[in-house]
Amino acid sequence: MPRPPSPSIPEKEFVYGALKQSLRLDGRAMLEMRTPTLTFGPELGWVECSLGKTRVLAQIDGKMVKPPPERPLEGMITIHSELSSMASNEYELGRPSDQEVTITRMLDKVLRRSDAVDKESLCVLAGQRVWHIRLTIHVLSDSGNMLDCACLAGIVALKHFRRPEVEVVGDEITIHHPSERAPMPLSMHHTPYCFTFAFFPDPSTPPLLDPSHLEETLSAGLLSVALNAQRELCVVQKAGGVPLAPEDVLRIMDVAVQKAKELDKIVESALQDDWAGRNVEVR
Amino acid sequence: MISFASFPSTSEASASYAQARHPPEVEEELGMDLDEDDFDEGVQRLTVPGEPITSSHAFMRGHGTFVDNEEVIASVAGTVERVNKLITVRAVRSRYNPEVGDLVVGRITEVQPRRWKVDANSRQDAVLMLSSVNLPGGVQRRKLESDELQMRTFFEEGDLLVAEVQAFFSDGAMSLHTRSLRYGKLRNGQLVSVPPILIRRLKSHFVALPCGVDLILGLNGYIWVSKHVKESEQEGEEGFDAEAVYSNRNDVIDDATRIAISRVSNIIKVLAAHFVPLTDTVLLEAYEWVVDQESHVKDLLHDEFGEHLVASLGVGIRQ
Amino acid sequence: MSSRVEILNDGGFRSDGRKQYELRDITIDLSQQGTADGSAIITHGLTQVMVTVFGPREAKMRSQTLHDRAVLNVEMSVAPFSTGERRKRSRADRRILELSAAIESTFEPVVQTSLYPRSQIDIYIHVLQQDGGLLQACINATTLALITAGVPLLDFVCAVSGGVHSTEPLLDLTTLEENDLPNLTVAVMPRTRKVTLVTMETRLHVERFRDIFELACEAGQTIHKEMKRAVKDRTVALVGAMDAGAKHPSGDPDRDLTMEDR
Repeated sequence: MPRPPSPSIPEKEFVYGALKQSLRLDGRAMLEMRTPTLTFGPELGWVECSLGKTRVLAQIDGKMVKPPPERPLEGMITIHSELSSMASNEYELGRPSDQEVTITRMLDKVLRRSDAVDKESLCVLAGQRVWHIRLTIHVLSDSGNMLDCACLAGIVALKHFRRPEVEVVGDEITIHHPSERAPMPLSMHHTPYCFTFAFFPDPSTPPLLDPSHLEETLSAGLLSVALNAQRELCVVQKAGGVPLAPEDVLRIMDVAVQKAKELDKIVESALQDDWAGRNVEVR
Repeated sequence: MISFASFPSTSEASASYAQARHPPEVEEELGMDLDEDDFDEGVQRLTVPGEPITSSHAFMRGHGTFVDNEEVIASVAGTVERVNKLITVRAVRSRYNPEVGDLVVGRITEVQPRRWKVDANSRQDAVLMLSSVNLPGGVQRRKLESDELQMRTFFEEGDLLVAEVQAFFSDGAMSLHTRSLRYGKLRNGQLVSVPPILIRRLKSHFVALPCGVDLILGLNGYIWVSKHVKESEQEGEEGFDAEAVYSNRNDVIDDATRIAISRVSNIIKVLAAHFVPLTDTVLLEAYEWVVDQESHVKDLLHDEFGEHLVASLGVGIRQ
Repeated sequence: MSSRVEILNDGGFRSDGRKQYELRDITIDLSQQGTADGSAIITHGLTQVMVTVFGPREAKMRSQTLHDRAVLNVEMSVAPFSTGERRKRSRADRRILELSAAIESTFEPVVQTSLYPRSQIDIYIHVLQQDGGLLQACINATTLALITAGVPLLDFVCAVSGGVHSTEPLLDLTTLEENDLPNLTVAVMPRTRKVTLVTMETRLHVERFRDIFELACEAGQTIHKEMKRAVKDRTVALVGAMDAGAKHPSGDPDRDLTMEDR
């Protein structure tokens, strides 16, 4: 496997030296996130999220399917993530790399297994018809912290999506076209946001939030926390890397709690602005 | 304070897990000389990774240790050894750690330009340079290009050889040489592999047992058990015969020798399974005992017989 | 949906009769497996994992070697008979890939890889039985197998799983409990008390997380005692056997009857 060219040694030393003094190359504070930009597409459930130069596109479509016999009362959610060489030349087709596996699994945990969407509300007719929500995530460009960006795009897309209203009379199902009746938003239990912290080999270097691509490559361990604004943790993932004192881990949780509240406000206002500008015709 | 008890729980909720599992007498035995903090002569101190041994001010760290927070800490499980101010920990079982001058038995894994790669049970394959072997036509002869082209006629992939560790490369890989008439290609026998720690440094690692079996105890844990070759039949300095030295053909071996070879190999396997250090005397005694029992060669592979053998030598662990 | 088994009854007992903070029975077998350099089988209750370690040895693919340190290679296989529902998982199953990647990066900073440049250390994990705490068992068994292979480690890595039932923290969960409770796995290095791995996949309030996290760090120390004991037992046994052989009365090193000269 050809390795991506790692940063040259002087570059590496420079970054480490700067971080030790709590200085980041892009001028951010150690625990400052790049402000996310959310762009909504013409369709509902089409969101492009960017954190600096990292850009992720999330798109949702829903269709009616017959539920699997073991879960007749629940709708289905599937996540497809595409990490192509387009995002960064580190990704190749073929066997998924470790990083790719981590990201897909994390997306699955943050968006699906955390019960963000009320799956039971997606049931139309028990055992007969349920909604199948399909979330496709395309990574357009990776310049660090792709995971947070993808999670944010995914969750915002779920909040932005509206499904057509359905009427059930007996065994008869009528799907109303959006132009007839206003489509319904998905019923969400909560909105988890993911935050990734990077740690460095030198123990005196403080941890930093939202690592850029260079910082991510040079880091000696990542800790990802997904949580909602209600201070509920959904996923904590620190798979190896530099060992940390337990107090440090707990301190990071507190930081993440703060950040989740801030991010929640940004997302809510962005969604409201978009909704205000949208003209949904109902005859 | 919270305490963690095991399942099934004991009557005392506060009993630690370990105490619940081990009867008290085992407990005492386990504690033996493990908590000794001084370095008395003759007292063996055992340690596990991450266990502080002593202060790094008074002592120097050697293999199997590292320094953190002004303490010398063990990184492997084994015995603590001290030479003056140098503290080392010798792992009880590990891959072979080569030293210059060690005799090793190896197997060619690859032929590369002007060198062979040799598997010698170490952390990397050893290197045998073309310039470090005796070539046909005199020891002091210059290496020619034609030698480079016919390296496979000397050693090819899969050949076994006995060699000596000559030097190390900067990355820790060892370089071998076979510039002695006793070294070179191996024939007429079989290979037995044992943990390297069981092979102690001896005066000579070429052992001839009276039963017509030669042994080469490689310090890397590979042992070559072969038919005895008479001193007079070994090629002398003058009559260096390339045909004979690099020949791939086994001699004619009679049945009795074959049986003796298998018997010795099985004895080595049994002793190694019981973690008995192998020396010529132990092997000889074991062989005599086995012959006295008038047993079949394959009897050795029965656990019980093996245990009797080890018990008769008064060594090894009882299991 | 899972049946409504009481996770923690009024008497403070769990479904298998344990108390809240009680760990399951641990058995450790460090005997030699085949030609492996090191091996360990660990059993936490009904979860059983076997790990074999080969190396440090010459890397199979030269392009994957690093000039300044050894490469760790973790491969994991889950036996189809390890769960109640017989299912064959392929090697490329994402869950398995994720677990092995997590184990690899957990041990990378712990193994002193810089001592073995251009080598490779292979860690093969075989899951034989599963009843919760899979990651915990894999990590503990890997630590033990690396130690038996004589690979230098900075410290043990001891993992333990935990969960929260309403507000009560529980340790060392079974499958039944794992399915119903928010749960996490924590791996600690007992000497420095630092945490190398934390994973949690289910919704849990920050305050509850704090409780169980601290408790699990504490429990790691208990597991460490047990692992240390097993390693010491083995060392004592092997060193004892070697000493007995060396002190053998006729094993006089000066006797030179059968040795050849030169």
